[in-house]
Amino acid sequence: MPVLFKKNPIDVAFSIITGLASLSVLVFIIGILYVLFTESSPAIEKFGVMKFLTSTDWDPVRESFGAATSLYGTAVATAIALFIAIPVAIGIAVFITEISPDFLKSPIGIAIELLAAIPSIIYGMWGLFVLVPIMADYIEPALQSTLGNVPLIGILFEGTPMGIDLLTAGIILSIMIIPFTASISRDAFNLTPEIVKESAYALGATKWEVVKNVVIPYSKLGVFGGIVLSLGRALGETMAVAFVLGNNHQITTSLLDAAATITVTLANEFTEADSDIYLASLFYLALILFVLSFITLAIAKFFLLKAERKFSR
Amino acid sequence: MTRERKRKIESFIALSLSTLAALFGLFWLVFILGDVLIEGIEALSPALFLNDPVPPGVAGGGLRNAFVGQLMITFFATLIGVPVGVLGGTFLAEYARGSKVARVISVLSDIMVSVPSIVIGTFIYAILVKPVGHFSGWAGSAALAIIMIPVVLRTTEDMLSLVPWTLREAAFALGAPYYKVIIQVVYRGAAAGILTGILLSIARVAGETAPLLFTSFNNSYFSTNMNEPIASLTVSIFQYAMGPYDSWHAQAWAASLMITVFILMLTILGRVIIRWRYGKR
Amino acid sequence: MNDTVEIEVKRLGFYYSGGTHALKEISLPAYKNNVIALIGPSGCGKTTLLRCFNRMHDLYPGNRYEGEIIFKDRDILSKDIDLIDLRSRIGMVFQKPTPFPMSIFDNIAYGLKLRGVKTRTELSEHVEQALRHAALWDEVKDKLHSSAYALSGGQQQRLVIARALAVKPEVLLFDEPTSALDPISTAKIEELAVNLKREITIIIVTHNMQQAARISDWTGFLMLGELIEFDRTDKIFTNPSQKLTEDYITGRFG
Repeated sequence: MPVLFKKNPIDVAFSIITGLASLSVLVFIIGILYVLFTESSPAIEKFGVMKFLTSTDWDPVRESFGAATSLYGTAVATAIALFIAIPVAIGIAVFITEISPDFLKSPIGIAIELLAAIPSIIYGMWGLFVLVPIMADYIEPALQSTLGNVPLIGILFEGTPMGIDLLTAGIILSIMIIPFTASISRDAFNLTPEIVKESAYALGATKWEVVKNVVIPYSKLGVFGGIVLSLGRALGETMAVAFVLGNNHQITTSLLDAAATITVTLANEFTEADSDIYLASLFYLALILFVLSFITLAIAKFFLLKAERKFSR
Repeated sequence: MTRERKRKIESFIALSLSTLAALFGLFWLVFILGDVLIEGIEALSPALFLNDPVPPGVAGGGLRNAFVGQLMITFFATLIGVPVGVLGGTFLAEYARGSKVARVISVLSDIMVSVPSIVIGTFIYAILVKPVGHFSGWAGSAALAIIMIPVVLRTTEDMLSLVPWTLREAAFALGAPYYKVIIQVVYRGAAAGILTGILLSIARVAGETAPLLFTSFNNSYFSTNMNEPIASLTVSIFQYAMGPYDSWHAQAWAASLMITVFILMLTILGRVIIRWRYGKR
Repeated sequence: MNDTVEIEVKRLGFYYSGGTHALKEISLPAYKNNVIALIGPSGCGKTTLLRCFNRMHDLYPGNRYEGEIIFKDRDILSKDIDLIDLRSRIGMVFQKPTPFPMSIFDNIAYGLKLRGVKTRTELSEHVEQALRHAALWDEVKDKLHSSAYALSGGQQQRLVIARALAVKPEVLLFDEPTSALDPISTAKIEELAVNLKREITIIIVTHNMQQAARISDWTGFLMLGELIEFDRTDKIFTNPSQKLTEDYITGRFG
């Protein structure tokens, strides 16, 4: 391993400058934590931790705030997104690595990556102008007349279908994270050695059996890490959902109701907060979101590193 | 025999579903890009680039202020973010190569890449907007720079690590100090990769909206003063799309088209450079 | 020695998808319960030939066969052959050990489960039998449910052989099975191959001429996609009829 070249003064200076630059990342993380904590301290003092997390109040007039409605919206929208995105993304990865003819692999891979590069505001706006009317006019009435009559599941589809709701937000979020999840899953699948796959074929396994019993078990750490990473991204996504969620601070059982996520609350109310405690509560939400997604992303990174190490052995 | 039939049918069904999933994914790409293209081109006009916004109902408004503002915010973000990122990546791949510090910062950067950008907006609001009492272009650039730095830092680290160690040894053997080796040999070897990282990081922040909402905010007038609130395409899209006027919606589509084209071009250019320099994948 | 022909290769030709003509007019008989070795310089087509017997080339699009390979009175190169059935009757062992990411037990049971063996007792019985067959039972019987990756390279290779044997194939293809192993593990695999031929036919590709001489009954020498000579192993190694074979055996080129 390299030695620090201490003798040359310019080298010392260069190593210090570069070192400080690399520390900037650490400074940001600590800075964000510290600043958000300080800014939200009035709200932390007033509402505490558990009470803030569980309170469904969000009332600027009475200055009573709680995170439960935003957390609920975040959780449901993310859950819908992952529910759709995981099977589709894994399907895409299977298609690219095992089914597609060679000449299509690269173009489809690039298309998926381009889809991942499109900024979230485009997804959000497209969702508002194109998907919302489709949801309101066709998909949601159809869901109501079918699944809406099924006991237990029925309550998920109550209310007037307006298109501005949790279901639409979840779907847009899923379209947005599919390419990302798919490309990580594909990379994980590609780590399965060809020779191990061949030896399953040599035992008379079908293609699906090779995928199910060899490729997926072989890459499960990487795929799981990728899914958790997508979860982390979905939690903090703002613009894809801000257009179509309606910012409604209520907990309802129906997926066809408007709701709020932490990000949507911040995007809509931050510049309008007219009292200190209101702003502090918004900072408190931001702090919760930061901690939540940081932990999620750290878990994802842990699994991805573990998967990497498994193969570098 | 029937059992084998069953296995083959199961395989066929599973593979068909995977193919459908791929078509499903591509369907959205075509759908979204198609809509942005059709609606965007329809709304494109010289006025969009040459005129500033006018009150709703008045004909001939444009988004000149937002184009200029977007360029300025992104430019200054790049000016701050790229040097810090490249230097930071240099430390991890060179002076701190293989050390625990390098590992930790590298992992933290990876996490920072995916941290919600809106949180970074609130952070900058607290330190750069609230104390001075008004929104500013600088605050927007700072927020975007914080998003850029970990991206540039990680790609730089990876690209420098790809430069063979023997190349450095050869330069050391000629008596060069480490900083000269880095600047004259290692950077040159990794230039294409670092450039790609920079392009992709610009593509990443060019579409960011959330961190600008409470930093650079918006401005309906033309302004190049970075100390003032300044318009950006993305925030304008948000405002216009949520607004009630058809003319606003048309301009939002046009602006979306421009941003999408810009970002896809940067992304494709980055991929082309990587392919040209490092071969297939 | 048995002289029933188990597999008959007739004027086999093979083209890779890029157009490379990798095998030209290969004809040879593989006698039942014999070990047949394929030798030749690298790139000569010996592995390509081996991978024709279980149609491994079909995994990659664009590859093309010519001629016939007759096995059980049928041409296994024909389109209507059931590859899944074919591969369960002609097993294969690769250059490197290829355990699946599961326990030792599940690795061996994998092929059986594919074939519909479900009951635990039946599976256990077959697994034990296969492991005994591959001379691995004593070493792993106490850790059947730990990961196959925990085994040494040589043990993994015998595990993979046991896995192939568990489904009772009639022919076993070995593609340089000891190239990644130490001499002691190699000796065990060689011994195993010689013992196995009592029940099955073995076709082995090897770059190690001594190995071919030690374990095989018949040897085919290939060069540039052509079968230069095919004969009894002792004949090939003591008195080859072709000048090229003699040059290769005596190491005059390589």
